[in-house]
Amino acid sequence: MALVTITNVWKYYGKTVAVKDLNITCKDGEFVSVLGPSGCGKSSTLRMLAGLEHISAGDIRFGDTRVNDLEPKDRDIAMVFENYALYPHKTVYENMANPLRLRNESEDTIKKRIAFAAEMLEIEYLLQRKPMELSGGQKQRTAIGRAIVREPKLFLFDEPIAHLDAKLRARMRGELKIMQRRLGTTMIYVTHDQLEAMSMADRIAVMNNGVLQQFGTPQEIYNHPVNEWVAGFVGEPPMNFIDCDLIEEGGGFYAVHSAFKVAVPADQAAKLRGALKSSGVRMGIRPDQMAISLGQEGAAKGSIKITEPLGGDTLVDVDLKGAHHVLVKTDADFRGQMNNSCSLNFDTSRWHFFSKETGVAYF
Amino acid sequence: MSSRDAVVYKTPLSRIWTIFTVIFIAFYLLWTLLPLVIMTFSSFKDLLAAFQLPPVGAFSEIGLFFNFTPTTKHYYNLFVNLGFTTYFLNSIIAAGGSAIISVVLGSMCAYALSRYEFRGKSDLFFWIISTRMAPVVAVLVPLYAIFRGMDLIGTQAGLILAFTTFNLPFAIWILKGFFDNVPYAIEEASMVDGSTRFQAFRAILPLVAPGIGAFVILCILFAWNDFLFASIIGSGGAKTLPPATVELVQPQNIQWGSIMAAGVITTLPMMLLGLLIRRYLVTGLTMGAVRE
Repeated sequence: MALVTITNVWKYYGKTVAVKDLNITCKDGEFVSVLGPSGCGKSSTLRMLAGLEHISAGDIRFGDTRVNDLEPKDRDIAMVFENYALYPHKTVYENMANPLRLRNESEDTIKKRIAFAAEMLEIEYLLQRKPMELSGGQKQRTAIGRAIVREPKLFLFDEPIAHLDAKLRARMRGELKIMQRRLGTTMIYVTHDQLEAMSMADRIAVMNNGVLQQFGTPQEIYNHPVNEWVAGFVGEPPMNFIDCDLIEEGGGFYAVHSAFKVAVPADQAAKLRGALKSSGVRMGIRPDQMAISLGQEGAAKGSIKITEPLGGDTLVDVDLKGAHHVLVKTDADFRGQMNNSCSLNFDTSRWHFFSKETGVAYF
Repeated sequence: MSSRDAVVYKTPLSRIWTIFTVIFIAFYLLWTLLPLVIMTFSSFKDLLAAFQLPPVGAFSEIGLFFNFTPTTKHYYNLFVNLGFTTYFLNSIIAAGGSAIISVVLGSMCAYALSRYEFRGKSDLFFWIISTRMAPVVAVLVPLYAIFRGMDLIGTQAGLILAFTTFNLPFAIWILKGFFDNVPYAIEEASMVDGSTRFQAFRAILPLVAPGIGAFVILCILFAWNDFLFASIIGSGGAKTLPPATVELVQPQNIQWGSIMAAGVITTLPMMLLGLLIRRYLVTGLTMGAVRE
């Protein structure tokens, strides 16, 4: 188990910058997820931690040890690869035994550790099979088994469940989280799926274009995104963004759009003062932070474009007056039809404002 | 998983094609097997019996061909009087030695070429195969001079070296293709598991076994069948089977029986080797370890 410190790390491939000045600290025993779209540098970061890629600049420390120049085998880490990377000619048992054999562990220890891991992953009955005879989920469990028998300082998971079907993925999310809590080993988990990151991690590092956008707990990321990009990336269905103007009138602030004019609560107004001078702001609000009603009594007027009943709740695509359309999540018994006029009330305690130019959040 | 075989429906054309294929294969078998059959039978025949042939077109008298008393005197003559035991061993040592050296060096070199990027890599790669472009005869005379200067003429070491210079480029080319097909992730997994680079290389060797199998066959075949190197560089101390067989053709006396027997003992080991190594050649490459 270890404290992992990434300090001012850069990664270049030729002239292309993959990771820019990255700083992350993972506490001992913490489950940290690195989240971002493909090409954001998250895998490069993981491979630098594993020692499979050189670190172009900066330092990575495990505890007090600087590991920049250590080979993968000397870092005491275990990694699970996106494509499993099992040894095709070895049985599941031998695949899991391999890291222990390389460390000259006794046959007794090997047997004991594999029995423990196999029991935890429920793959005891597969031990004598070869990877070819396994399903995707079983291969992935074997790969995880190979990682946990080592009892390493640090787990590195590179999108390990990305290739599984949706149902199995949902189940593995829970199992991985339980496994990590049970072992108590620091874990760095790379994924492009915000749901995985949100549901499993203690803290999430959101990356885009090689730059760390925000590092915090899932609640911080979800409720207080630092910029428009993070706000839009995290959350499903994604946050709605509406360009509007900010005006000061009679001592209060108002967000003004052709479809609405909504007063900004007093405690938020102070944070928005700087935005008054700019050419406008972008309001962000999540689909479940609005109330929709038929008729024109609400704050923002529009009409229903389409409704998507999902069983538990209903998604409504609303055309606001003046070109914007927003996605609203409402109850399953919402009875609106296409082209009905409707109106929205915003939950002004939970909305966000971003600078139109830089995308940085005011709050 | 669904069947890999494509569904084929019979049409009149495909039936004709099937018949044509069978006829073609029958002729092809006759063409390839008949010489071997004649050679094998003749090696067990007395010289007089070997030349008893039915008249042309008289197929009813074909039994004449099988009507003989088997004798092993040609084999006895080869191994006892003519020293073929030594030549046989020489052949094995030369072919096996060069195959082992070529596989060991070739796989390491192919691995490096497959996994590392460095300046001039493609030029180096082309240069390696270009050494195989000149015909053996073209380089034989200078090679002879060099080998004589190093006292390698007529020695096993010299012959192995000569075969290896010709087999190694081939090994590198064949094996690089196989290494290219092995996913990089398997070595990375191995290194994260705690192996050194060299151990990781060894960990993926089983995955290129079909390539190594194919190459060992080709390499041994080349060395085993080679006549030019064997007669010029190996002559004397390291004489192999092909030059030894040629010596049975003497101006006054062509020893047909012994030549046939020598042919059999030269062919047989290669056939056995082919059967033995066949299963490596048909083994799937990555066997589904990595999701493609």
